[in-house]
Amino acid sequence: MIASRRLLRWVTAALATAAALFVMVRLSAAPVGYSDPGTSSLRLSWSARPERIEVCRTLSAEELAREEEHMRQRVECEGHFATYTLRVEADGRLLSESVVRGAGLRHDRPIFLLRDLALSSGAHRIRVSFLRRERIDRRAEGDTLEERAERSEADTGLFAGRAAREATERSRRTRAAIPPRLVLDTLLSFAPNRVLLVTLDADRRALEVLDSTATSR
Amino acid sequence: MRLLERVARRVLTGIDAATTRLYGWTWNPVHQTGTVAVAMLLVLVATGLYLLLFYRVGSPAASVARIAADPWIGSWVRSLHRYASDLFVIAAALHAFRMFAQSRSWGPRTLAWISGLVLFGTGVVCAWTGFVMAWDTFGERLAKDGGRLLDVLPVLSEPVSRIFAGDGPVPSAFFFVNLFVHIAVPLAMGVALWLHVSRVARPVLLPPKPLLWGIIGALTLASVALPAPLGDAANAFVLARATPTDLMVAWWLPLSERLSPGVVWSAMLAAGVVALLVPRMMRKPREGPLAASVVDPRLCTGCNQCPQDCPWDAITMVNRDDDRPTLLARVDAARCVSCGICAGSCAPMGVGPVGRSGRDQLAALRSSLAVAPVDDTPIVAICCEQAPPAHVVKLRERGARIHQVPCVGNLHSSVIELFVRNGAAGVIVFGCPRRDCVGREGPKWLHERVFNDREAELQPRVDRRRVRLATLAPGALSDAIAALGSFTHDLAVLHRPETSEDDAFDVICEPVATKGPDR
Repeated sequence: MIASRRLLRWVTAALATAAALFVMVRLSAAPVGYSDPGTSSLRLSWSARPERIEVCRTLSAEELAREEEHMRQRVECEGHFATYTLRVEADGRLLSESVVRGAGLRHDRPIFLLRDLALSSGAHRIRVSFLRRERIDRRAEGDTLEERAERSEADTGLFAGRAAREATERSRRTRAAIPPRLVLDTLLSFAPNRVLLVTLDADRRALEVLDSTATSR
Repeated sequence: MRLLERVARRVLTGIDAATTRLYGWTWNPVHQTGTVAVAMLLVLVATGLYLLLFYRVGSPAASVARIAADPWIGSWVRSLHRYASDLFVIAAALHAFRMFAQSRSWGPRTLAWISGLVLFGTGVVCAWTGFVMAWDTFGERLAKDGGRLLDVLPVLSEPVSRIFAGDGPVPSAFFFVNLFVHIAVPLAMGVALWLHVSRVARPVLLPPKPLLWGIIGALTLASVALPAPLGDAANAFVLARATPTDLMVAWWLPLSERLSPGVVWSAMLAAGVVALLVPRMMRKPREGPLAASVVDPRLCTGCNQCPQDCPWDAITMVNRDDDRPTLLARVDAARCVSCGICAGSCAPMGVGPVGRSGRDQLAALRSSLAVAPVDDTPIVAICCEQAPPAHVVKLRERGARIHQVPCVGNLHSSVIELFVRNGAAGVIVFGCPRRDCVGREGPKWLHERVFNDREAELQPRVDRRRVRLATLAPGALSDAIAALGSFTHDLAVLHRPETSEDDAFDVICEPVATKGPDR
């Protein structure tokens, strides 16, 4: 009697253990929904420096003389980084509109953009625009590089090669910065549960569309 | 919070009762969740070392898929690693719940509570990084949400989320950092575990061997029979309809994905603060039954027994400031949890919580016996106050005279002797299961004192046939009743002891100071 009761207890305990383990195993890999069937996604993702909007002027000889020799910077620039309006439309319908700034508290870091916009699968006319918000009045912008070069002192001594280096650096920064106007307007076909990625081609300085085949580059 | 504690206590009793009915109190894994969690950590380390040999940060998904496809070792070792992590989380959560429900989270146990929270948190973080290592759809999902949450913190110079966007392959550096965290966190857990048990004497880190190997064996069987599925390899351009989600470590994920990072962080912060404040919210005045032990220097003989028996290392021996050539016990109130085990360990009854020393126990019992002699109820059942009240009532209904003590480890052996001297046919002491004693070592020390002559032993003049130790656990009432029945049966062949007024017994119990000036 006691032996049979003990056996029954063992069997019950074994079955309960097996059931508990089964529940744990099932909960360990429970299929939890992630995206709705039939939906697709338009992803916008790029990172680039915003354009620097600044006004530069060449300091006069008197102004330079007031500075210590090692502090004499011939060109003085003041400004800020541009902000942009991101606008995404699908078939003429506005999906998203936002102002994008550079990262960091002073917004002087690159822009890191990442947006996922849900769309139904199928073909859609997509228009993505990324436009600089600030208008630059060229007439009030201060000296041009050429003007500065004309007014600068001889490129010798402590300043040897500086004007050329400055020009090169400005040119590089301008090329690396986001263009003031980026627009992508195209017809895209979205497969179910697939993502199409719009990103910035740094070489072409234009928006481009990537899919899973294109990223295997 | 008190109401919550009462509800938790009731729930815990229900869980204990159910599991004790299944496994018996000796092998009840729910009584040993802390040690089960530690055992799972060891399993995780062992299986993790094997998996590490085959993992490649350059091709995470492919390398894990290769491991999972190996039918001989890789598949079940990986599954065992997964299931051990799940069981770790379950065991650690249950352990915390037990400590909360039993009001074992405050006072001197605060460090253990907080380090336990750290252990639990780091264990879960470690599990998350492990899933990310596999880089299947679930790992990607975890990483994306983790990145989303991290990106709102002003700590990273560039957002993490963009590396999962698909405009380039996820850099190996990400998987290397993830692997580093996955390995470094367990090292931190080692330190936290040391802190966790630093305030207890003789910490028990592993379950009894049969239970340990039983659990590992069951998990291994589950790993072989039901290997943990691996989701499809992560692809930034595919929206998985569902992911094989581990709800033990990521139950919050579907909810978190729908909330803003600010809300999620706020919720996590609030939960963390509440958990950390539990010791403060649960604390009670250190008086009455919760008063720390005190030493009566007149009675302390410097025998060094109470420091050995104290489960919390709260007692040390120091030099006396009088002319006696012995040491003196000193209780550190900040470490004392008022379990009263020292009171049971002190033969001259010189130490114990206020009102619960051996002398106090004897005085209370004498008063009780004066009002209600044991003549009518010849069998005395001494029960721990932690025992379920309904079970105690059942024992009373079966004719036992009930005498309750805060912990059987607190019980001085002289109390047993006094019962027998006053005519009790027998004394049966019902303690808690050994691994579920709130005083940690109550049943163990009582057994040693009664049957193995540990200091403060039950005197040889007490017939051991009249004393029995048993266990009274939720869900094991029938065992307790059977033990009582068996004891009653065994006592039937013995003559009822005669009441005796032994002077020697009284002398033992007199304060030492009354013995005379020659000391």
